Amino acid sequence: MLKKLFLAALIALALVGTVSAQGKVYKVAFVARAQADSFAAWLTNSIVQEAKKYKDISVTVFDGQASDDVENSLIENAITNKFDAIVIQPNNGESQRPYAVKVVQAGIACITTNARIAGIAGASSVDADPYMQAAVGARLALKQVPKNAIVVVLDGPPGNFHADSRRVSWQKEFFDKRPDVKIAGEQIGHWNKDEAMNYMEDWVQANPKIDAIISMNDNMATGALEVVKDKPSYKGILSYGVDGTAEACLLIKAGTMTATCLQNAYDLATKILDTTHKLVTGQSGQINVDIDCPLVTKANVDQYIAMHKKAGAIK
Amino acid sequence: MSGIGKARITWSSISRSYGIYIALFAMIILSSVINPNFFSAENISNVTRQISVTTILAFGETILIICGLLDLSCGSVLALAGLLSVISYKATGSMAVAFAVAIGVALFCNYLNAMMVALLNAPAFIATLAMQTMARGCALLLTKGQDVYQIGNYTKVGQGSIGFIPIPLLFLVGLFLATWYILNNTRFGRALYAVGGNQEAAKASGINVRGTKVTAFMVNGLFVGIAGVLFMSRVNAGLPNGAINYEFQGLTSSIIGGTSFTGGVGTAGGTVVGSFIVGFLNNILNLANVNSYLQQIVRGAIIALAVIYDIWTKNRRTRSLVRGMAAK
Repeated sequence: MLKKLFLAALIALALVGTVSAQGKVYKVAFVARAQADSFAAWLTNSIVQEAKKYKDISVTVFDGQASDDVENSLIENAITNKFDAIVIQPNNGESQRPYAVKVVQAGIACITTNARIAGIAGASSVDADPYMQAAVGARLALKQVPKNAIVVVLDGPPGNFHADSRRVSWQKEFFDKRPDVKIAGEQIGHWNKDEAMNYMEDWVQANPKIDAIISMNDNMATGALEVVKDKPSYKGILSYGVDGTAEACLLIKAGTMTATCLQNAYDLATKILDTTHKLVTGQSGQINVDIDCPLVTKANVDQYIAMHKKAGAIK
Repeated sequence: MSGIGKARITWSSISRSYGIYIALFAMIILSSVINPNFFSAENISNVTRQISVTTILAFGETILIICGLLDLSCGSVLALAGLLSVISYKATGSMAVAFAVAIGVALFCNYLNAMMVALLNAPAFIATLAMQTMARGCALLLTKGQDVYQIGNYTKVGQGSIGFIPIPLLFLVGLFLATWYILNNTRFGRALYAVGGNQEAAKASGINVRGTKVTAFMVNGLFVGIAGVLFMSRVNAGLPNGAINYEFQGLTSSIIGGTSFTGGVGTAGGTVVGSFIVGFLNNILNLANVNSYLQQIVRGAIIALAVIYDIWTKNRRTRSLVRGMAAK
């Protein structure tokens, strides 16, 4: 009798163990650059949403507050708390690099995203190439911007990998090939719509004609367009951005904005969760993957508006 | 006999009383020479649109600084108030509701500031810093960090004009007159200077110090609420991360305009002039296509000069008072 009871207890324990192994939930930390940054917020929301599709993954979001110091501390805390995977959206790739290395050394799955911190052995990454994001717009502009055109340029924060790479891309893909084009004004708008508006208002005063607005993101492009939207002399002004925000898509549909490149947070989130899942379940050891950089113009904007409607960004 | 009843007009007395106005005038002349587009009606109209929000914030800061306080939360409260105003406009289509919501939210936040400062004796710097974080957090939480678009006719307040006068300019003038009147013609205005100049002396002379501080915050709240509507209307969106660092722009305008950071000194006129100096400076640097980094250096230098000038004039005044007393 005792033998039977002991056997039954062993079987029960084994069953409990199996159920618990099947029910293991992997803890994933997402260290966001700054939730006050609208793209980072979009990515965060998308990651949280996407994680709901995985029963064995639980995501905790941490806000890096656009500070290297804060973000590095959050990564260290996540290591201490023994997360199974840490997804890092760097504020400044080089500043977070040693901390990403620490994650790998602690035996925790490390994924860097938007932008990738390249060259860390054992770390994975999911990204959109900022050079390509700007290049698709710049190549279109090569054909569209008229000869001897006057353009204005709105830059992102200096030192930001995406801001700098996009500007380099515009230089190589457009300005170097079009020496006839004159830059009438170039300022740092810090990704902000209101700052871009102020600059554009001043540029409009200083220049009787501006042929194109070249912006390193959509927020600044839409801000500049806000200034000239009711001015008949600027009707038909060309404008290029990056991100594919809901507002930019609506303006492209209305014919006010020329083009943007979609940096699809939904797509990034899907690939980040897929990569994370493969890493924590041991299906893969290291993954580096890029999402596409589709050019959004009036010809194909409807599909992206539908995407934003589905996500609730456009009612 | 000789000196009695006669005010000696010297260059130093003129520069002390009208230095800021002279600086603005010189700047206009210089800027007009640098760029002929500077002094056009359209450019001046643009500058007034650009500075309207920060000048309105500066009026609130001036009132608070005169009283020995300050508000580091106004940029974040502006964002929260403006955002809720946009959301309520989208729900109701009523601009009156939108204004009421923005003002209500800003008044509530400033009431909390006032309670922390006047009732719990928290330093204004710390209390409003805490509110800055809380208000920004609320705005981000409410929208999950996403902007609110398609705001329809809400934009008319910030982008529209009546005749050739931009609507934000009308708000700016109205609130300037209100600030000027409060500071110069009301018991509350005199109490502000007294509390900011010497709180203990003000209390001894029967002034309700706590009430004065609470009222100062509430007036500031009213101004911040109105600024919230103008800001969101101007940018044609509800931006939870909008108006970041606007509190410093408001403070800068106020201090360049002669408001003393130690309290008890400041005028509405000086604040407007300070704001125009900042606005014109940004404008001419952009018109002349000056490098962004250089612009930051120039702006910082102007603020430093304004503060140094303020300290220098105060020291001179103190020295001359001491000399006068010694002579007697």
